[in-house]
Amino acid sequence: MNLLSVGYRLAEVTVDKPTGILGALATAAEDFIKVFNKGGEVLLSLMGGILPTLVVLLTAVNALVRIIGPEKIENLGKAAARPGIQWYPVRYIVLPFVAVFVLTNPMAYTMGRFLPERYKPAFYDSAVSFVHPILGIFPHANPGELFVYVGIATGITQLGLGLGDLAVRYLLVGLVVIFIRGIVTEWITARMMAKKEA
Amino acid sequence: MGGISAVLTKIGRSVGGVVGTLYQAGRDTVDTVIRNVIPFMAFISFIIGLILTTGIGDWIATGIKGSASSLPGLLLISLVCALPVLSPLLGPGAVIAQIVGTLLGVEIGKGNIPAQYALPALFAINPQVGCDFIPVGLALGEAEPETVEVGVPAVLFSRLVTGPLSVVIAYFASFGLYSSSN
Repeated sequence: MNLLSVGYRLAEVTVDKPTGILGALATAAEDFIKVFNKGGEVLLSLMGGILPTLVVLLTAVNALVRIIGPEKIENLGKAAARPGIQWYPVRYIVLPFVAVFVLTNPMAYTMGRFLPERYKPAFYDSAVSFVHPILGIFPHANPGELFVYVGIATGITQLGLGLGDLAVRYLLVGLVVIFIRGIVTEWITARMMAKKEA
Repeated sequence: MGGISAVLTKIGRSVGGVVGTLYQAGRDTVDTVIRNVIPFMAFISFIIGLILTTGIGDWIATGIKGSASSLPGLLLISLVCALPVLSPLLGPGAVIAQIVGTLLGVEIGKGNIPAQYALPALFAINPQVGCDFIPVGLALGEAEPETVEVGVPAVLFSRLVTGPLSVVIAYFASFGLYSSSN
């Protein structure tokens, strides 16, 4: 790619810009390679920008999770299974958060096994809806789908603005949304189960 | 002597355990990054290159600008993504959400979409999250087949309500976000 662009530069210095069919071809070739040069620039900025931080962060959190041991959160799952209004926030905010943080996508959904059948769809809905809002601060939870957040965040960075505010708000609004989603889905599930039995 | 060597063995073992854990964590990380992160970066870089150097960007900008920089427009996007027929199709790998997110990011970077719309946009492009994965996710939670039968439509219908609702919440939560940039 570099050789090609050097060649063009030399051509510009020594002779006039080619015209006619060859000229059109040359312009087309330049435009063609320009797409990939720009793409390469973007790739390099991504690899140099967020990738090193991501690797170190992922390593640290992976080690932390291994030292704590995923089995420690099972008690939380049992607590979340209890009926009663005070356990709603545990079931649809705390449990999805901890499950997605510790077990990550997709193993987080295995925490549903501690819940009664009628809560399972709502818990899945709640947990799966949190695998992106968590990415702004804890990208280890779902690195394969990072660009849901990073895609938009890149635009903010280009404007020279900080990402902290957006990441925190994304996480907090995410928690509110998964809570509502859990409640709504639990209600719909209950209605559908009742209808099926009737 | 027996006491000392027992202590030494214990120390050696626990240090070895910690180092082993850290090393394994690093190995897992590099594995994930090479398998999942870098391939997507390469793909996204190509798309961004294409958008920035060709006229496609301007074409998309005119299409997106109206819908992505107003609350009703974002609501419309979220409603379409949340349609029970479409949402399982749009879900897999969050590929659609990632591409649309990148497109919006480019337009935000160019100033075509105000920065404070980043937050509601994050929710508008994503009401279909996990809609393709409901039976598998429920199976991971050891759900009965009867629960899966009810759970799939329950989640899909729930999204129709909570998808647009999440955009509204995010819209109000974005007040004061990057407001100095205007």
